[in-house]
Amino acid sequence: MSNGSVDNVELVNDAPRNGSAPGPRRRATAESMAAQQREISVSEFFMKNRHLLGFDNPRKALLTTVKEAVDNSLDACEEAGILPEVWVHIEMVGENRFKVGVQDNGPGIVKKQIPSIFGKLLYGSKFHRLRMSRGQQGIGISAAGMYGLITTGKPVKIISKTSIRKPAHYFEIQIDPKKNKPEILNGKGEGVDIPPNEEGRKYIADHGIEWVEHYETPEGQKPEPLASGTRVTIELEAIYKRGRGSVDEYLEQTAIANPHVTLHYLDPDGEYRTYQRSSQNMPPEPKEIKPHPYGVELGRLVAMLKDADGATLSQFFTGSFSRVSPAVARKICETANLSVRTSAKKVGRGEADALYKAIQETKISAPTTDCISPIGEENLLKGLYNVVPGEFFCSATRPPAVYRGNPFQVEVALAYGGVSNVKKVTLEALREMLAESDARTLRQFIISSFDGLGADAADRILKAAEMPNRMSPAKLKKGAVEQLYHAMQHVNLSEGATMQVLRYANRVPLQFQPAACAITQAIMQTNWRSYGLSQSRGSLPNGPLTVMVHLASVWVPFTSESKEAIADYPEIAKELRLGLQTVGRKLGMFLRRRLKVKQEVERRAIFMRYLGEVAGAVSALNGSDRDKVYADLLRVAERKTKEADAKFDKHGRRVETPEEFGGNVLIVTHESPLPAGGAVAS
Amino acid sequence: MAKKKSANSSSDSNRAKADPAKLSPQDKKTLGSLTGLADGVVDLAHKSRAPHMDVPSRSLSNARYNKTKRYIEMGNNTTRRELFNLSQAKSYMQTLLVSSGCKQLIEEGKTTSIRGLYYLLKHTIDGTKEETFNDQAESDPIIEDVEVLLNALREELHVYASNRGTMVGNIIINDSGDEIDCSRMGSGGYNIPSIVEPEVVQFVKCSAKFILHVEKDTVWRRFNEDKFWRKHNCILTHGGGQPPRGVRRLLHRLHNELGLPIYCVLDNDPWGYYIYSVIKQGSINLAFESKRMAIPEAKYLGLRSIDFERCNLSNSVQIRLNDNDRKRAKQIANYPWFKDKPKWQKEIKKLLDNDFKLEVEALINKGISFVTETYVPERLEEQDWLD
Repeated sequence: MSNGSVDNVELVNDAPRNGSAPGPRRRATAESMAAQQREISVSEFFMKNRHLLGFDNPRKALLTTVKEAVDNSLDACEEAGILPEVWVHIEMVGENRFKVGVQDNGPGIVKKQIPSIFGKLLYGSKFHRLRMSRGQQGIGISAAGMYGLITTGKPVKIISKTSIRKPAHYFEIQIDPKKNKPEILNGKGEGVDIPPNEEGRKYIADHGIEWVEHYETPEGQKPEPLASGTRVTIELEAIYKRGRGSVDEYLEQTAIANPHVTLHYLDPDGEYRTYQRSSQNMPPEPKEIKPHPYGVELGRLVAMLKDADGATLSQFFTGSFSRVSPAVARKICETANLSVRTSAKKVGRGEADALYKAIQETKISAPTTDCISPIGEENLLKGLYNVVPGEFFCSATRPPAVYRGNPFQVEVALAYGGVSNVKKVTLEALREMLAESDARTLRQFIISSFDGLGADAADRILKAAEMPNRMSPAKLKKGAVEQLYHAMQHVNLSEGATMQVLRYANRVPLQFQPAACAITQAIMQTNWRSYGLSQSRGSLPNGPLTVMVHLASVWVPFTSESKEAIADYPEIAKELRLGLQTVGRKLGMFLRRRLKVKQEVERRAIFMRYLGEVAGAVSALNGSDRDKVYADLLRVAERKTKEADAKFDKHGRRVETPEEFGGNVLIVTHESPLPAGGAVAS
Repeated sequence: MAKKKSANSSSDSNRAKADPAKLSPQDKKTLGSLTGLADGVVDLAHKSRAPHMDVPSRSLSNARYNKTKRYIEMGNNTTRRELFNLSQAKSYMQTLLVSSGCKQLIEEGKTTSIRGLYYLLKHTIDGTKEETFNDQAESDPIIEDVEVLLNALREELHVYASNRGTMVGNIIINDSGDEIDCSRMGSGGYNIPSIVEPEVVQFVKCSAKFILHVEKDTVWRRFNEDKFWRKHNCILTHGGGQPPRGVRRLLHRLHNELGLPIYCVLDNDPWGYYIYSVIKQGSINLAFESKRMAIPEAKYLGLRSIDFERCNLSNSVQIRLNDNDRKRAKQIANYPWFKDKPKWQKEIKKLLDNDFKLEVEALINKGISFVTETYVPERLEEQDWLD
């Protein structure tokens, strides 16, 4: 993986060979070419390759910007131990121009660091340590700022406050792509301090930025001021569109995986939404770990050896790696035919190679796993329950495992039943979505706008609406929209629906490239038919269900820098499969029981239906008392279905207890829309 | 199976009790077994046990050929029908409904068609949208079930099938008090009723020497028009294809009570063979009635598969056998009562070799009255028939 280490970016062309053999006329000389050979800055490289960072199109640029900012905010809050509260404001300032403001209640940033964090690519705290966090490389937010600068010419505006009494620091920064260095535009290149008073407020308003000063509190209570926090405002060229892959979706999915976070979201249409936290407990702080010997490649090992200041090999191994005791270090050195007292600095290339091979041959215990903080089964249930409708929820957290020396942990949660997104949409929202859509046909519009809808479901909606498949969404008349809306509300989609998959890596939703992702692969390779779902070979199962998969790791192996898909390591695939099977089994139990209940209810209904007729006929035949015969028969019928009787409530539904499923299962009945956690058995 | 919709939906379908009619001893016996059926239900229900009934099964597996009696008999297998069994609950209810309907008919001294009984019992079940019977196809087998269950004949339950089949010939009968001379029936003939039990039909005087049974109406008309029965002093009947119970029962009575031999003139195809087989050995479905219907002595006069060459017929009267015919012919050849008869095996083999079938009407190819003036008299003269 090219983790964007600076060395890799020095792209120097190989000079063409200029052999003595007579050939075609020379086009350039080594000297003339040398004139063109120069260093490429990281910033320039990414400016040309912005798709690598998730800025391939205007719509995705908006999402990536919000995402990088929110991820940074959440990381900062969690590291500081503050329950995160994040405000996301997106404002349309012109055609295809948006102003994105993201504020958190985190610890704030010291003045000196602000320009580098927001104005320099590959600058950050997370790259060099092995610790579970959302961000990894230190590219994201600076790249977003750079993108804004390229497309609108406006600088990134940052306000950060570290304490309630101290002034806030205000910076307007733009990145110099050639030097990969921040340029501060305001305060004569020094930034400005805004005092925490009326004057400061006015200053903020004058510069077209907002600053949320108080937490939202119920009316009548004294508002609690924000002690610290950071707000970044980026203006960029973008397109705002709802549906799959949108900012709305990202925030919703973030809320699911982070039940301890409160999100406030003001969308470009002026609609304000709040995802309230359902858990007051911070996830446990993940510990930082040293690399595990198995996860280190030869090149890295050589670099690490060089950096070791005069240490012996024994000291080097025990000090730089986790799980290496002096005994293990000696074993490695013995296998490599080196003395433990050799100076690490003096180890040559060949010896390093021997050391590398020795490491692979030596048995070293797996890395500690307390560096990972999973969401937890209970919080998974809460998060999913709050956002996804359903009748049955269950979750499973796998024990930690290791790939290439990196600890990781898989969590899976599942929601079954409930209403599809299609039914939740309002007529107004549908109108807007239709107006915004660039889909060529209605069918395409439906499939791409709503999650969990396949081609089959779209066809059925359109058939119910009596509209041709190929009709263009833009050509819909006013009445026709209502017709479509009506069809969407009334078509039974639970059969045609395909599984909705929510993928997460370190609590960050992955919204793109589902097909390339190990999670999707694992779901498709799982046999869901044995759990009572229908599934065609090599595809997602069908049914009204949502599956959420979370991979937590100190180093998530993404397939690209834009962090959209997880690489398919066999160890990860195995854990994913086991996790999916755990929730699948629980779902299978639920579905089988539900089927049984349905059959029992039917059985009883059929008996009851005929009892009256039988009693009447018997009475006509031998003159016995009809009512008495009926009563007798009824008693027999009740005795016959006695077993079923005990498990029915008054609505003829079977009363189920989550305990039967072995914990971490939530069953929602229609009578009691219980509060989250109400029926969680752990 | 004899069933056709003679829409005799008499208006007596109201459940109000009419004046109790005078009951015959047979009626009393039937009523007794009907009451017994209900008593069993009351008894079991009272003991908190699930009611059930054991219906003798009317399937191929429960029908066997009795070699000494030479007809199909019903075995002892029964099928249990339970009220508290999902797949049987409805038919259980229906069986009791049919029983109560029959009781009503007997008590009121009336009879009705199977279609009439269907309408009598059809109603919407209280509190549902479900009908007790969706169509007649549901009620007809239940009526047969009740017949075997109570060991009572359909007539004894006051239910009849539709009339089909006609008789003409030198015989005088008494049908429900009316004396009928079957030699004076014009071109239409006497319509054989569904119930021909001695209480209804008595033979007054018969001078005929044998019975000629033909397959269907068109052939029967030819024979009647040519006054074949007068010339040969016989009784001429047809059953409109597969003869209904009434016709079979009447043939049985004529054969056994008056000692008249029976000759059949049927089409030369598997269906014709099967009609003969049913007249002779009884049918699987009505195996329980074989002893009252089967006529093991009945003879198969024609048409034969050799007739195409024998009568020198034109190619154009051939009808190709289809796959179904061929399959059916092989099945029939394997029936136990045909299996040991080399003549029959030869006959069926010849049919398959021919790969075509012949209808009786095909003989018209040789002349309009060829069948009545030449074909049948010759066969009778030569005693050339299959047994």
